[in-house]
Amino acid sequence: MRIWVVSEESTGGQLRRVSRELAAHAATLGDVTVLQVTGERVPSVAAASALAERAKTDAPDLILVGATPSGRDVAARLAAKLKCAYFSECTDLSVAGGSIEVSRGMYAGKVRARVRASLPAVCSVRPNAFPLADGAPEPALTDVAASSAPGLTFVRFEPSAASGGRIPLSEARIIVSGGRGLKGPESWSQVEALADVLGAALGASRAVTDAGWRPNEEQVGQTGKTVTPDLYIALGISGAIQHLAGMTSSKVIVAVNKDPDADIFKVADYGVVGDVFEFLPAFTDAVKQVKAAS
Amino acid sequence: MARFLVCIKQVPDSTTRVKVAPDGRSILTDGVTWSISPYDEYAIELALEHKDQAPDTIVSVITVGGARTKDALRQALAMGCDDATLVAGEGLGPLGIASALKSSVEELKPDLVLCGKQASDDDQGFVGPALAEALGWPHLAQITKLASAASGFEFWKETEGGHEVWTASGAAVLTVQKSAKEPRYPSLPGIMKAKKKEIPERSAADVGDPVKIEIVKLEPPAARGGGKILKDGDTKAFAQQLATLLRDEAKVL
Repeated sequence: MRIWVVSEESTGGQLRRVSRELAAHAATLGDVTVLQVTGERVPSVAAASALAERAKTDAPDLILVGATPSGRDVAARLAAKLKCAYFSECTDLSVAGGSIEVSRGMYAGKVRARVRASLPAVCSVRPNAFPLADGAPEPALTDVAASSAPGLTFVRFEPSAASGGRIPLSEARIIVSGGRGLKGPESWSQVEALADVLGAALGASRAVTDAGWRPNEEQVGQTGKTVTPDLYIALGISGAIQHLAGMTSSKVIVAVNKDPDADIFKVADYGVVGDVFEFLPAFTDAVKQVKAAS
Repeated sequence: MARFLVCIKQVPDSTTRVKVAPDGRSILTDGVTWSISPYDEYAIELALEHKDQAPDTIVSVITVGGARTKDALRQALAMGCDDATLVAGEGLGPLGIASALKSSVEELKPDLVLCGKQASDDDQGFVGPALAEALGWPHLAQITKLASAASGFEFWKETEGGHEVWTASGAAVLTVQKSAKEPRYPSLPGIMKAKKKEIPERSAADVGDPVKIEIVKLEPPAARGGGKILKDGDTKAFAQQLATLLRDEAKVL
């Protein structure tokens, strides 16, 4: 079986971890080629055109792309060009007898689905879906020059104020997320202090982003991001159904809330019923000590 | 004068507790409140915001589905859209839906087609790019803002750490991300007007749907709970205890 992995760089120019995860997993399924579309600010339609052109000769059975915002977009357009099946945000996949079966979320994470289609197929796969062994070799990349995208012109980049240099939410292994219980945007200096110690990304409930305390891109849940980190820490989040849908597949969930009846505790592996402002500095110090001692 | 076409999908309302049917391959629809998919509402709002500033703008909505989906179109008309079209067709996959929409787009000749970035039932995000491909148009995903510029529009595309601003020289498909402005509620006069509007139906009979997707199994997310909840004690001591548990028991630190 011929498998393509379409890789993506992070903003720092490194190969993304999800691309390495996919390259390692694909190697267990068949012959892998890891492709990289070259060029700056390449529109997804131009990346997809170049890849579709190459697919005419390579004829891959399966194309895997990391389910980042940009990866999902390229994957969908590429599948449309190839007129083949597309599955987004897969968390597992298996191939047998000319067809593929994937696991993925539906209804904003309220339902787990297993779905099947004939090969060839394109899948965007969640970061953290497949393990990556420590010291796994960097995959060799094959460059593909982007096609031109008639009609689209990049004008400028407008950076958002709040998100300076942190790991993107969708790829984070640890997420520290804040809700209305944090009372206002000024509390985020304490949330950031904890995130720094953990190397975590920042998340937020919808109440927080709607109030403008944090940017929309940090919203977790329906109409925000669905995340599956190893550790999700919910601070002052009550646990509306739309929020739970977006984080309930995290491996370990920690909830801190002063209301013992908050719904967030129903999905938590560990919970602290108490004042989040008492908890935060103490926990940040405790994590520092625990990490230093190990 | 600009003409926008917004493609919408009717899905269970976001507050619905979705339950899997006994067959394990569909969801129970009894008692479900149906609504416009949230990102599609943001798409409608982006179009209507432009119409607020340029009142000669025409905002059309379209959906592919069964008779029930007319309610979603009426909801869009009540928000302020000018006209609505139902493409009658059920059980189509994303490529089939894109194909069913294509002929309507070619007939209505909009300057821009807007879709939500994904529908909140299958969460695929495939129809927008597939429609652009069927039309031979470029598309831009994750749009949160349209700004009027000297030559048409500037499109604000959300990316990691900010927005890329793009322009398009011709027609394009936009897939819309949640934006700062919440979708407007239908007004009472809007609701009255929407009731009286004709919603023409088109057939999707000649549609090509090259890919068959089989649902093998649907199930609720893995049950959670029974966690260790530390309460009725000193929060600072709990913080210490939790850090140790996360390292030694959960092994995530």
